[in-house]
Amino acid sequence: MSRVVVAGSKSVISPVVEKLHELRLLHIVNYNGSQPQFELGKPIGKAKEYSEDLIKLRSITRYLDLKNKAPDKTYPESQVLSEMDNLLNNIGADVTATFERITAIEAEVKSKQDQIKALTPLAVLPLPLDAYYGYESLATFVGTAKTPVDADVAKVSPVNEIYSGSAKNATFVAVFVPADKAGEVSSVLSEHGFSELSVPKLEGNVDAAIATLEGSIKSLEGERAPLQKKLADIKKQYEDLMLATDEFLSMETRKTEAPLRFAETDNAFVIDGYVPADQFSRLKSELESASGGKIEVSLIADKEADDLVEKGEDVPSQMDNPSLVKPYELITRLFAIPEYKEFDPSLLIFVFFPIMFGMILGDIGYGVMTLLVLMMLKKKFRTPGWQQLINVVMVGGVWAIIFGVFFGEIFGPLGLWGRIMGQLSEHEIELAKEAGLYFGEGVFGSLGRLGPLGIFPLDRLATNAVLLLIGTSIFIGVIHCSVGSILGIKTELNYGEKKHAYFERLPVMLFQVFFCLALLGLIMGQSILTYLGIIVVVVSIVMLVMGPEGAMGLAHVPSYVSNLISYLRLLAIGLASVGLAYAANQLAFYVIMPMLSGGATNSAEFTIPAIIAGIMILVVVHFINFLLGILSPFMHPLRLHYVEMFTKFYSAHGGGVEYSPFGHVRRFLKA
Amino acid sequence: MAVVADAGVLYGLLAVGAGLATGLAGIGAGVGEQGIGAAVVGVVAEEPGFLGKGLFLMLLPETLIIFGLAVSLILMFAWTPFAGIVTP
Repeated sequence: MSRVVVAGSKSVISPVVEKLHELRLLHIVNYNGSQPQFELGKPIGKAKEYSEDLIKLRSITRYLDLKNKAPDKTYPESQVLSEMDNLLNNIGADVTATFERITAIEAEVKSKQDQIKALTPLAVLPLPLDAYYGYESLATFVGTAKTPVDADVAKVSPVNEIYSGSAKNATFVAVFVPADKAGEVSSVLSEHGFSELSVPKLEGNVDAAIATLEGSIKSLEGERAPLQKKLADIKKQYEDLMLATDEFLSMETRKTEAPLRFAETDNAFVIDGYVPADQFSRLKSELESASGGKIEVSLIADKEADDLVEKGEDVPSQMDNPSLVKPYELITRLFAIPEYKEFDPSLLIFVFFPIMFGMILGDIGYGVMTLLVLMMLKKKFRTPGWQQLINVVMVGGVWAIIFGVFFGEIFGPLGLWGRIMGQLSEHEIELAKEAGLYFGEGVFGSLGRLGPLGIFPLDRLATNAVLLLIGTSIFIGVIHCSVGSILGIKTELNYGEKKHAYFERLPVMLFQVFFCLALLGLIMGQSILTYLGIIVVVVSIVMLVMGPEGAMGLAHVPSYVSNLISYLRLLAIGLASVGLAYAANQLAFYVIMPMLSGGATNSAEFTIPAIIAGIMILVVVHFINFLLGILSPFMHPLRLHYVEMFTKFYSAHGGGVEYSPFGHVRRFLKA
Repeated sequence: MAVVADAGVLYGLLAVGAGLATGLAGIGAGVGEQGIGAAVVGVVAEEPGFLGKGLFLMLLPETLIIFGLAVSLILMFAWTPFAGIVTP
């Protein structure tokens, strides 16, 4: 990235902004108004008009419930411009009126429904509705009471008229008394647990009133349906055009408001920014030709630029990876944008992440299922973020199939599915067990068992296989962490921190590698290896103490060991999923099916209901296992990257700022 | 003092110990993650950009359960003094 300054006469500010927007090269550094001789720029052109139009459009799209989507059709700017007036005023007014009418209808329906609700209990009282209101000398109480009220009301007001009836476990009463007794009667009623109901001011008998209300609700709903259809039609017809107009207006607003980010004097403007180093000459020549030479585009010297960085200016960084690696930037971005001088770890994630995913899932059946499900999802979720995520997991799915072949698993260990691929004879299994070389009983069909010592297909649940995988996991961990440490050294050197590089990052790597070598020596009985390992481990600890943190550095030593142990999850999560798959198969084939077939042991004797029940068990348990099987192989390698690897080199200086050049990627608009 | 050990009983005790190691470590990791998870959800609701760092913090205590599992594996498979007896 090169730090550039663009300065020019105010008379050419519009063509310059237009050109910058078109080029999408300059990452603008906002002017913060700190220098007295410059002030913040003011919007140019029709900024106010555009933003008003945008607000109008947004309210229309909200009424239509328009969501952002992948474009089906693109429009040239001229068409958007010519149709904008019609869209915003005629169609907009139509949409607004229709939407308001629908809202009004809905409110009316709601109030009528409330009235029906209030009327329904009154049906038990033998009074027409107009009898409840319109009195001057009478007080009316209508509601529910817990106990009979007649006697007590008569005590305080001998002149009264009381009606009661019961429905749905409640007693409804209507009490009419002279108005001057209202206070006393009210307190008497409250002793009886009276709670008042509001009576709608309607006429005639209750049932007839309810029928009328229902009738009018029906007709209102009849009116609403075509209006809703009208909105849906408008949405269908203008969806893409509206989104294109939205895009056009936001683009124009951004252009007209761009000078707010510039510094200005009475006659000139100054733009600060960053541009990729190799693009500087193009930026310069394009801007100069656009402004007719009334502009100065100059590069700031490295030393001066460094001073600006010291003062807290962030150099933007752009992740630049081959298209294969691109999806993995998602994972990097989720953690932090790399700083300008930092290594972009996307490539490493691309290498390690899918392998780890595959090693954990490691099952042909689940791998194929993953791919199928993701292919379906890929058609459904078409936003770039989802597409990237799906691509990441898909590559993992392919690795899961590859590891599935090594592990001999198709929906569980092949041992149970031996009918498909065949298995070793009892005798050979016994021999292997005696020799301590038992890695499972499955075979690759006529190929038999492959690999050194006949390791593959590996039954992950066999003791020897567990030990082998422990070793493999730790081995992957050492490599993974070492790569992290090497990058840590490189990053520190980039920042010119030699002491941090050689006495903080390097010892970590030495410690982890030789700690594992010492352990390997112990296991293999090679005492030379053990002693060598121990010596280097001690040396690395001494180096740590000599480093920038001093003796405090020792506090980190346990975490270096735990970092490595953490890689055991590659084995552990996998074991859990194999275990569940194995349990499902055992349950179906050796428990449920024989049990429901009256104790049959031969698969040919299984009854049909038994087979159906068994298959249901298989489907349910494998489905649950499959869901977990996508989630945890994703989360755990993610953690291994974020916690174990990134901490060694990444983001030690705080996250960076992503290079986002001024400009716009057109989606609904034709270029 | 001579210790007469029944191999079956010893194997059973080993299995119980291994189970406790993983299980208790799991509870510990869960308790640790509970508070972090709640806090992270709160922060992410305010500022979605924190999701990655939040995940990072949330996954930190996960190592605990792996420690438990490592102990279990050692008990069941790898510790030679025991591995010798482990043939029920």
